[in-house]
Amino acid sequence: MGAPRISLDTLTVARAGRVLLRDVTLDVGAGDSVALVGPSGSGKSSLLRCLVRLDEPAGGAVRLDGRDIRELDPCELRRRVGLVTQAPVMLPGSVRDNLAYGLDDPPPAALGAALERAGLSPDFTERAARELSGGESARVAVARALVREPAALLLDEPTAALDREAAGDIEELIRQLAAGGLAIVMVTHDEPLAARVAERAVRLGAGSVQAAGRAAEVLRP
Amino acid sequence: MTQVIVAAALVVLAVGLSRAGGLGLERELLVTAVRAALQLAAVGAFVTLVFEHGWLASVFVAVMLATATIAAGRRLAGIGDRYARAGAAIAVGVAVGTVPLFAAGAFDTDPRELIPIVGILTGGAMAATAVTGRRLAEAIGDDLAAVETRLALGVNVRTALHPLVRSAAVTGLIPALDQTRNVGLVTLPGTFVGLILGGASPAEAARVQLTVLLALLAVEAVSALVIVRLVSAALTQPGERVVAPAGPGI
Repeated sequence: MGAPRISLDTLTVARAGRVLLRDVTLDVGAGDSVALVGPSGSGKSSLLRCLVRLDEPAGGAVRLDGRDIRELDPCELRRRVGLVTQAPVMLPGSVRDNLAYGLDDPPPAALGAALERAGLSPDFTERAARELSGGESARVAVARALVREPAALLLDEPTAALDREAAGDIEELIRQLAAGGLAIVMVTHDEPLAARVAERAVRLGAGSVQAAGRAAEVLRP
Repeated sequence: MTQVIVAAALVVLAVGLSRAGGLGLERELLVTAVRAALQLAAVGAFVTLVFEHGWLASVFVAVMLATATIAAGRRLAGIGDRYARAGAAIAVGVAVGTVPLFAAGAFDTDPRELIPIVGILTGGAMAATAVTGRRLAEAIGDDLAAVETRLALGVNVRTALHPLVRSAAVTGLIPALDQTRNVGLVTLPGTFVGLILGGASPAEAARVQLTVLLALLAVEAVSALVIVRLVSAALTQPGERVVAPAGPGI
């Protein structure tokens, strides 16, 4: 791993005044894929939200390429760190409207390229976004983040809402994206999935990090 | 007096029909009728006083604004400082309508003209504030996932909330728009009817009614635009974040 793109420094995550996670420290570099595993309610999703400032951490700091994210413009931060939520929301309109949302007239080639990276045909731009299947929506959500040329991608339970075939496709997509140089942080309660997709894993439980290291070791049954 | 006697007889008729039809509304009809009679008698007496003592007009206007603020603020459950926000939206809207009308001499500042005009405009501002503000707060609560999706794609709060703001303002302004669009075709509005019954010519009544309707459009548009800003600000947190209105259900 080269210089870390995303660094979590003794991060403390709370929700509604209750501390869920304490002192999480983690570096994620380009091409690195890290799975955060742990039971529901352990604060995994809140931690991901803290990385793009949709939630504010109760303590500690997050750095992107060495800079505290509180010093960055939140909009700029969120273009550089893409968040794909569980069962992603498709905005009204076409797939193109979703990909280009908030961007200043992006070139059509960039939209098509992002769709292809996410494993979809460039023809998809004309489809009505809210009529897509779960697997297609997941891919469009990834493409929507990729159009912004992010340094890192955060995935929250990326396959939880999908059938087995679509889930397998998304797993393959995540491996390819990491191989392509993105820093990937994935949250899941599905340990076999984490073991198949991620190089490294962090096991969360009882409010803190229980184990961290190579996925094969941390996730050993 | 004949008018009141005939109207009371009509209420008795309605009560009789309710009993004959088994609707069970007799008591409610009677209580409502008596309540309306008492309220209007009290207002009539008070307005008589206001017409005799000009300084009471400012008290009357203050009471109208306060009542409208409380009524609209109650609709904004889950929004911090809701009464201050509702009051500001109503006051700005009413000021935008009344100041030019009275400054230009379109109406006289005599209580006989001031009170009804300010009353009508305050009522419009109240409705637009309550409906628009509540609709926006509900929409943010219902659609927070879509708002956060937009934020996560790198737009600011103002852009992320824009579709919800627009939809709430349209909902809040539909009654004023429809009332103005259909005036004279569907109903004859109160100002027109009142002036005709008071002996004004139809042309004069129409002119005053038009002035009131157009002023109402401006007042309600301003109140709606102010309350969407104030509700958005109440639910916006540092770092381009949006939170749902507090509390279960609104």
